Amino acid sequence: MRKYLTIFKISFQQEFAYRLNFVLWRVRNVLQIFIAFFLWNTIFSDPGRVVFGYDRAKILTYIFGLIIIRAIVLSSRAIDIAGEVSRGDLTNQLLRPMGYIKYWFTRDLSSKALNLIFSVFEASILFLIFKPQFFFQTNFLLFFLFLTSLVIAVILFFFLMFIANMLPLWLPDQPWGMSFLLFIFTDFLGGGVFPLDILPSYITKIIYLTPFPYLLFMPLQIYLGKLDLITSFNSILIGTVWVIVLALGTKVVWSQGLKSYGAVGR
Amino acid sequence: MDRVVVVDHLVKHFEVNEKRPGIIGSLSTLFFPKKRTVQALKEISFSVKKGELVGFIGPNGAGKTTTLKILSGILYPSSGFVQVGGYTPWERKEDFLKQISLIMGQKNQLWWDLPAIETFELNRAIYEIPERSYKRSLDELTTLLDVEDILTVPVRRLSLGQRMRMELIAALLHKPEIIFLDEPTIGLDLVGQKVVRDFIDDYNRKNEATILLTSHNMDDVLGLAKRVIVIDEGSIIFDGKLEELTAHFAKEKEIRVFLKNGADYKKLEEIGKVKKVKHPEVVLSVPRAEVATAAARILENFQVEDLTITEESLDDIIRKVFQGKLRKP
Repeated sequence: MRKYLTIFKISFQQEFAYRLNFVLWRVRNVLQIFIAFFLWNTIFSDPGRVVFGYDRAKILTYIFGLIIIRAIVLSSRAIDIAGEVSRGDLTNQLLRPMGYIKYWFTRDLSSKALNLIFSVFEASILFLIFKPQFFFQTNFLLFFLFLTSLVIAVILFFFLMFIANMLPLWLPDQPWGMSFLLFIFTDFLGGGVFPLDILPSYITKIIYLTPFPYLLFMPLQIYLGKLDLITSFNSILIGTVWVIVLALGTKVVWSQGLKSYGAVGR
Repeated sequence: MDRVVVVDHLVKHFEVNEKRPGIIGSLSTLFFPKKRTVQALKEISFSVKKGELVGFIGPNGAGKTTTLKILSGILYPSSGFVQVGGYTPWERKEDFLKQISLIMGQKNQLWWDLPAIETFELNRAIYEIPERSYKRSLDELTTLLDVEDILTVPVRRLSLGQRMRMELIAALLHKPEIIFLDEPTIGLDLVGQKVVRDFIDDYNRKNEATILLTSHNMDDVLGLAKRVIVIDEGSIIFDGKLEELTAHFAKEKEIRVFLKNGADYKKLEEIGKVKKVKHPEVVLSVPRAEVATAAARILENFQVEDLTITEESLDDIIRKVFQGKLRKP
């Protein structure tokens, strides 16, 4: 356990080594929020209007909630795995007496911690600037379910990233193709661009069967109280099933991939 | 017999995707990938005793690095038996990984953006090295390699030589009993090479560590290895003492003659290959079996002041090994 704590610490420091890089990444996040905020703010310019079951307070909470949830769920170091594999640097990692999957999960968590600190800071500033009506979830049970769904989302995203980043074990010259695809799916099918329930219900039903809505959309829905208790439980159940499926998938992909790893790069 | 490394009939082949040149070539590769199987290792067998320092030499692409990677558990073999320190390497058990180290001159495990000391701290945690022995190893290694004052400089600002020393420290903090070194002196200047070489020699003797080393640096081989394994095109073509290498491979001997004035060099060419003429000295290369007759013929037909018969130098033999010019005798 202690070894992973040290990995956490050093990974945290590493993020600071490229300060500009990190700042720009945060700026990008803030700009995204600005765009979404102004778009929805215009649509809801009449304070009494309700569109797709969202009133002004809830949609703005959705947008602000996204800042925090994106920072927790989507900030990830696991995207570096593909590069490490295709450069052949995986070789060095394999020599160390540690679990490779655990190692990257730890680095993911450290990246999340840092991003969380910054996004809370950013969200508070944006909050002061826009002074939006904000929806606070006061139901303790729902809030607990929200936290649970967040943990599931973090684990889900990690496994998805890990699997996508294993591609160069087989095709060392094509490291990032799968991850890009994954990002697009995550944003559109995960609720990163718009709340999924504004889509026709036959489409959402299909989307709900994929792991993506459990990354951003479902946690937020639970927080906003848009799901009743049973549906919230259901959503957590499906998320958990996906965690198990992807955990097994990760193990298989990793052990099979190692066999075809060529340890090239020199 | 205390055999630390055992390799028996080890086979490894790679599947390689072939790329055809040009745009049409690229497209056709995309849709109809052409695979080719490369035989990297063809049933090699050898074993290494505890505390031995073995040089692994051969031309580029002979399979040296592949062997080291299999021994350190990074690559799966295609078939064959391998045991290192009592473990099967590719199972990558933590206890196994804690007693080995693979150091590659061209790969770094140091965190690029952070000072080397951070990587050392990380390795202390990962290898679960007790605080006291970590301190002791670190002091000892940094003093030996003379890097105490650059421990806190970010790695990307270090010179190659400094970085290589840091790599050595990072790889040895956990006091591995078995070390695989792949081109440890590559790219280093002469002073740097010597520092690393002396260090390896020292580590081997002090810790009774078993070391397998590949190198294309003549001085590494001559200075460190007592035993060499020559590998070429995936097969071992020699395994024995460094001194025996010459007798094993040299098909020819050299005859060095000092001639009296007025001799006709042309005629010497009928006896053997003339390698050097520097009046009055001539060096001839003659097949081992014919040395006696050749010498007799020279003495008979020329006015000779002096004549000596020597072996081809070890340098020359090793150079030929590196160039892949030696085949099974």
